[in-house]
Amino acid sequence: MAERLLWSPLRIGPVTVANRVVFSAHLTNYATQDGLPSEQHAAYYAERAAGGAGLIITEEHSTHPTDWPYEKLIHGFKPEVLDGYRRITDAVHAHNTPIFAQLNHNGGQASSMFSRNPVWAPSPVADPLFREVPKAVSRAEIAEIIEGYATVAARCAAGGFDGIELQCSHSSIVRGFLSPATNRRIDDYGGTLVNRARLLLELVDAVRHAIGPGLALGVRLCGDELIEGGTTIEEAVEVARMVEATGQVDYINTSIGVATATLFMIEASMHITPGYATFIPSAIRAAVGLPVVGVGRFKDPIQAERALEDGHCDLVGVVRGQIADAEFVAKARSGHTDDTRLCLSCNQECVGRMGLNRWLGCIENPRTGRESQGVGKARLTRAPREVLVVGAGPAGLQAAIAAARNGHRVTVCEREGQPGGQVRLAASVPNRAELGDLVRNQVSECRRLGVEICFGVTLDSAEVVRRRPDKVVVATGAVAARPWWAGDAPNLCDIREVLEGVAAPSGSVVVIDEIGFHHATSVAELLADRGCEVEVIASGMVVGQDLGITLDMETWWIRAGAKGIAQSTELVPMALVEGVLQLQHHPTGQMVERTPDWIVCAVPAVPAEQLYFELRAAGLDVDRVGDCVAPRRAHAAVIEGERAGAAV
Amino acid sequence: MKLLSPLAIGPATARNRVFFGAHETNLGAGRALSERHVAYYRRRAAAGVGMIVVEDASVHPSDWPYERAPLATECSQGWAAIAAACHGEGSLVLAGLSHAGGQGSSAYSQGPLWAPSRVPEVNTREVPKWMEPEDIAAVVEGFAAAAAAAVAAGCDGVQVNAGQHSLVRQFLSGLTNQRDDEWGGDRLRFAGDVLVAIRSAIGPDAVLSLRLSCDELAPWAGLTPESAAQVAVALVSEPDARVDTLTVVRGSIFSVAATRPDGHTEAGFNLDLAATIRDALSAAGTPVPVIAQGSIVDIGQAEWAVGDGARADGVEMTRALLADAELVAKVAAGAPERVRPCLLCNQTCSVRDARNPIVTCVVDPRSGHELDDPDESVGRGSGDVLVIGGGVAGMEAARVAARRGHNVRLVERSDRLGGALRTAASGSGRERLAAIAEWLESECRDAGVVIELGRSASPEELSGDVVVAVGSVQGGREYTVTRAAVVRSAAELLAAPEAAPQGDVLIWDPIGGPIGISVAELLASKGRSVHLVTPDNIVGNELSRSGDLAPANARLHQAGVQLHRRSILRAVKKGSVELEDRFSGERRTLRAAVVVDAGHRLPDTTFDAAVGVVRAGDCVAPRTIHEAILEGRRAALALDGIGRLSDGVPMGSSQHG
Repeated sequence: MAERLLWSPLRIGPVTVANRVVFSAHLTNYATQDGLPSEQHAAYYAERAAGGAGLIITEEHSTHPTDWPYEKLIHGFKPEVLDGYRRITDAVHAHNTPIFAQLNHNGGQASSMFSRNPVWAPSPVADPLFREVPKAVSRAEIAEIIEGYATVAARCAAGGFDGIELQCSHSSIVRGFLSPATNRRIDDYGGTLVNRARLLLELVDAVRHAIGPGLALGVRLCGDELIEGGTTIEEAVEVARMVEATGQVDYINTSIGVATATLFMIEASMHITPGYATFIPSAIRAAVGLPVVGVGRFKDPIQAERALEDGHCDLVGVVRGQIADAEFVAKARSGHTDDTRLCLSCNQECVGRMGLNRWLGCIENPRTGRESQGVGKARLTRAPREVLVVGAGPAGLQAAIAAARNGHRVTVCEREGQPGGQVRLAASVPNRAELGDLVRNQVSECRRLGVEICFGVTLDSAEVVRRRPDKVVVATGAVAARPWWAGDAPNLCDIREVLEGVAAPSGSVVVIDEIGFHHATSVAELLADRGCEVEVIASGMVVGQDLGITLDMETWWIRAGAKGIAQSTELVPMALVEGVLQLQHHPTGQMVERTPDWIVCAVPAVPAEQLYFELRAAGLDVDRVGDCVAPRRAHAAVIEGERAGAAV
Repeated sequence: MKLLSPLAIGPATARNRVFFGAHETNLGAGRALSERHVAYYRRRAAAGVGMIVVEDASVHPSDWPYERAPLATECSQGWAAIAAACHGEGSLVLAGLSHAGGQGSSAYSQGPLWAPSRVPEVNTREVPKWMEPEDIAAVVEGFAAAAAAAVAAGCDGVQVNAGQHSLVRQFLSGLTNQRDDEWGGDRLRFAGDVLVAIRSAIGPDAVLSLRLSCDELAPWAGLTPESAAQVAVALVSEPDARVDTLTVVRGSIFSVAATRPDGHTEAGFNLDLAATIRDALSAAGTPVPVIAQGSIVDIGQAEWAVGDGARADGVEMTRALLADAELVAKVAAGAPERVRPCLLCNQTCSVRDARNPIVTCVVDPRSGHELDDPDESVGRGSGDVLVIGGGVAGMEAARVAARRGHNVRLVERSDRLGGALRTAASGSGRERLAAIAEWLESECRDAGVVIELGRSASPEELSGDVVVAVGSVQGGREYTVTRAAVVRSAAELLAAPEAAPQGDVLIWDPIGGPIGISVAELLASKGRSVHLVTPDNIVGNELSRSGDLAPANARLHQAGVQLHRRSILRAVKKGSVELEDRFSGERRTLRAAVVVDAGHRLPDTTFDAAVGVVRAGDCVAPRTIHEAILEGRRAALALDGIGRLSDGVPMGSSQHG
């Protein structure tokens, strides 16, 4: 525990935190269809409390029925939430960890689809994501909003929360009022910064009055909206001073971006530098005496300690790090930082699921969101079995982990000289390198659990049978496929061959994207970096159609533009004849041609399923997981491996 | 009318030939059918529908295509409640049974998709697992067990989905079945096994219906009308299955939206296909009743289809029954003109969307909300009501208030009723929208509303019960406009498309909804050179829910509209515009004689100072027909003290959203 400041306690008003690591507010979609907190919530937060988090701040609780932007939002305005509140706070308090509730009204960053009422906002300015013109709230409605916050704050106090945080940052009616971009009012809630901050200060008054002195009160501010005409750091610092001057607030939390216009900067993926938003707490902390929380891709304890040492902030928000490993704090504190299941900032199953209205999970931690169901928990066997896993990609390694966790003796045989399968290849593109932590984490967990991993071993069915394992898990992945239109043309290869170094395209290159994720785009970047003239072609309406889900679309476009990568869409390859690639523009039926030096294909692979069927035919107890079932993404491999391994 | 005559379907008889077809609702409670389902179906049964097919239930846990997709093993209670409710009202009830196969989603099951072959799903690109023989056996058994449970719960029978989202169709089609085993050599085998297993499970006294895609619109390998006719004959001729009725649909992996398209596709588009199949069944000596589906929303067409047109024996009028649950009762009462029209807009009834919107209807927001919203026609009011503004919101308020007994006067400053809807309906492919304005006007007149056109309300009139529904005005312009530059709002352009100056037209569409696109299509159809500019990566970004996204893009391309994506309009000058690339920030200049702004509008604040009035529609916040009708209706109810007002705006208190 080299981190001196990180593990030191801190007073936040009436609350003392044991360390500076905050599990900051973030959406989970764990609430029920009716807006009630669930058992899933309680188990999820409790797990992070048990893992040593200094402070937990829940996801937002809506304070008014006009605020219902997404289905599974906690309806704090319903009295029935109280039981759920107590379940959460009891579970977290069992680990002596304080927990705050975040209150919010999303204002104009919403639609009326769920509420069936007009969206409320300072002015009739439509949000760029929801695209619905809101109703400008009247003074009476402002009073109603304030009353809503006070009521829900009091309910949170009754429900056992230790503090309240007001989300005034990236998706909030308070932000809407603060920002000149969305506040066009001409009454005394609009115009000058003092007027724009009026609602915030009235809310602070009302909420403090509702909760009394015994609970902590925090305000989360946006330091830079990154939009035209929006709030920037100078005004944010000014607002922080106003907040401090109320004398009623105990800490300030920070954020960057607007959840609907510049979301990709709020929950930045691996393509944005760690600690990218630290300038915000830094500037605010220089201006106020209150404790300030910094957020934005704090990945490990050393980086967090450094931010504290350098005086940028007093507390550090580590959200994704604790989603990936609930024991982020406990492991680091006990000197086992290397055992941490480091977050990849891939955004695939946490952030990526929020926009899809699905419960929050983690690409590499099958237990996340499934704590209450016991997923990923060791159940030691009385009859250990010899388990043979064939293939050390993410599916095979997870199967090994899950089986070894329960006390089985596990051997993994991998044909290649290194583990990781497709993930290892994908992570070999420089700006996707953090993806490789998935494999490093799995291998290190295998090592701790005593799994034997043998490299360079190719097993056929006869050899597997000869070894007489009690259980076989086949995780042999998938092999590159050649598209039907390619024939035996030269200078055409799969992305894998580029990444393995087997093929080295040069000159002009067309990359065919039939997968729609990072496969084509990352290889396109790699080739552009090597000096190729690259065009990515997709049959759909966009190249990398799923990049938006992980918040990678904007940065892809920015990088592609800088690297001179062209993108063409709605084109279907029909034939490749003597170096001429013929494509059909399917909306019009027109044929177009390309004559690149190379064609690189990102197309679905073919499962390597032969071993599985041979072993079944031989009567072995065998399961198969990952791409050898059907080629999919890493999370499918991990979750299938976990299931198969746990079922041994 | 033939439409209202009974139809024998195997062992059962439907009291008439108007059916409420299987469709997704998101009304469920988890994966079970809910009380909301019961109320939803009961309302249609009570108003005379002949037969109802309940939302498809997945027959096996490997299938979880959308979050609240019913799962057969959790549906017995719901089926029983729905069957009891609808039987009590005289309707037949079938349980829809399905497995979406490779067109499902792994998001909820977190397991691989099951499909005949490893063909990636066209839109999600997900690659399924090819089903092993024991997987096939498990799904066949799932169909049989689900059917037995549905019939045991009191349903009159079941319908097997072999339509556009179905594993059964995937086995039938060369597009998706590339197997070289017995299920590929005989692509009908799986469907046949399913039907035989079901019949064996439900016995002879229950109805077995098949919903079959008879044109996959992919003739290179898919089912065509000709091959589908052979499939239909073969399946219906299977003696051990005894299929009692066939519902003819179209669409497949490449064209899911083609099954239930919006108004860009002609009403009743599938009737000839139904006739082809029906004729083939007759010719083969297996003349089971054929049910037609596909934008059948007009009573006249429906009657023709089952009568003189000889296209089908019955018709699904699903969306028409969302727009007016009492369609059958009104037709039976000899008042077909009183049926509230379906606009074929697909705006709120298409619910395959990750956000889980629940099914409802723009023109009847109570659809899907039967447990939340009061029946607006029930109750009595009296007294004088003034409605200011004859758009959709104002007319709905006037209609409901008058039907509830108020003396209603409606003043409209222009010389025509319909407001913003009239301009929206003059966009290309949007003509059908006008039907609701005409219906509302006719209902208002029938209910005794006094309509005064060409007159603005004066401040002295603002006493007593007043509803303000004065609509919207042009929105703010977030780009510079130099002198002599020509900028029109979409409304101005649609009101007088001929009046736009000659030369290139550039449409600025920051919304991505139907307005900008329909203006572009309209102008292109008049021979104009058109540019469409959007900040999005995709043109018509908001159209995916209605199913018009891909069709709209194809139409624009085919019409030669030049699409400028990822671009922000920065400046409009005389004869040119300046665009900025959203990602690179680079600016470029385009020639354009006129810019049409299809952006958001602002509320008309003329009467904002009025106290004690009720406000509804675009003057609260400019939105769509749906919100206008909902608020207009609530405004009328508010006059009778139902609901609550905030700042004069009637608010709902939906428990379910």
